[in-house]
Amino acid sequence: MKVISVTAALGLFAVSTAIAGETVEINPPVEGSISRAEGLEAWGRIYEVASHPRCSNCHVGEDNVPMWSGPAYGKARPHGMNINGGESRIGAEFILCSTCHTTKLEDWDNANQKPHAAPRVAMDWQLAPVEAEWFGKSSVEICNQLRDPERNGDRTYLDLAEHLDHDLILHWAWNPGGGREPAPYNLQDHVNDVLAWGVAGYPCEND
Amino acid sequence: MKLTVNGTEYEVDVEPDMPLLWVLRDELGLTGTKYGCGVAQCGACTVHVDGTAVRSCQLAAADISGEITTIEGLGSAEALHAVQEAWIEHQVAQCGYCQSGQIMAAASFLEFNTEPTDEDIDRAMSANLCRCGTYPRIRAAVKSAAAKLNGA
Repeated sequence: MKVISVTAALGLFAVSTAIAGETVEINPPVEGSISRAEGLEAWGRIYEVASHPRCSNCHVGEDNVPMWSGPAYGKARPHGMNINGGESRIGAEFILCSTCHTTKLEDWDNANQKPHAAPRVAMDWQLAPVEAEWFGKSSVEICNQLRDPERNGDRTYLDLAEHLDHDLILHWAWNPGGGREPAPYNLQDHVNDVLAWGVAGYPCEND
Repeated sequence: MKLTVNGTEYEVDVEPDMPLLWVLRDELGLTGTKYGCGVAQCGACTVHVDGTAVRSCQLAAADISGEITTIEGLGSAEALHAVQEAWIEHQVAQCGYCQSGQIMAAASFLEFNTEPTDEDIDRAMSANLCRCGTYPRIRAAVKSAAAKLNGA
């Protein structure tokens, strides 16, 4: 109801194309208003997020092995317990990610406060698709993947923003609890950067 | 709140963030499921929710979404589950503390993977720790259980 009323209000006053998402505002800059340089600046911040351990640890390649890295772990190493997400990327071949990263019914607060416990959200825990391999990848590599419809789930920048709005696993990256370092900036800033980068024409440093 | 454990419906009066493990052991007196670490690092508290392995120390009472099976309900003395039969055949247990979690994990794994290789078993079972080091017998018993379930 909230979304409908906000949309109606916007239609009435016609002041903005903003979409009130579930958790963020999706408010892209006007076409042509973002320069390539500004787009690359936005990309730089996006890369800081994408390469942060809270995100990249589960954006791993075709060995399907999640990583443990970041300030809390010292040296980067594969997820303990010989964990392998399998080609299913949810662990169905061996042990489901959600066996330990249990699925909450609601996204209630304080569920992830215990240090060293398996993080959990109100979605089944899983690896990102193998096409979105980010761990150890450069800014140019991730930039080109994220703008390639073949490898980004056929998403425009608006689709990427909506994905960011809905995916509860990635929301956890900014509120990880348990002494873990959060991803930089915040979800709304990250969505704004994705929108600015898209409006700028998805520039990458190798263009 | 209501929950179903081993086919019996219970009404329990607990805080919504109480871990299922506490509900099972302290509220329902089902002490076959063990406390090991409390943070999903050891596997001792493994139970099934709708047939799938879950660490009961990590699942809050308010997040229970299906029927729970514990080691007490996996099989019966008269009709053991294939994994329990294999465990006896291979005399897997030493101290036994981790074994209910091991058995529950193995039973769930074999629902997903009916012809596991040694590597599959190691990947599936490495998150269940055994201080006695019964791992070779666990691997052998899981293979035997798979064969039993496949009708061999």
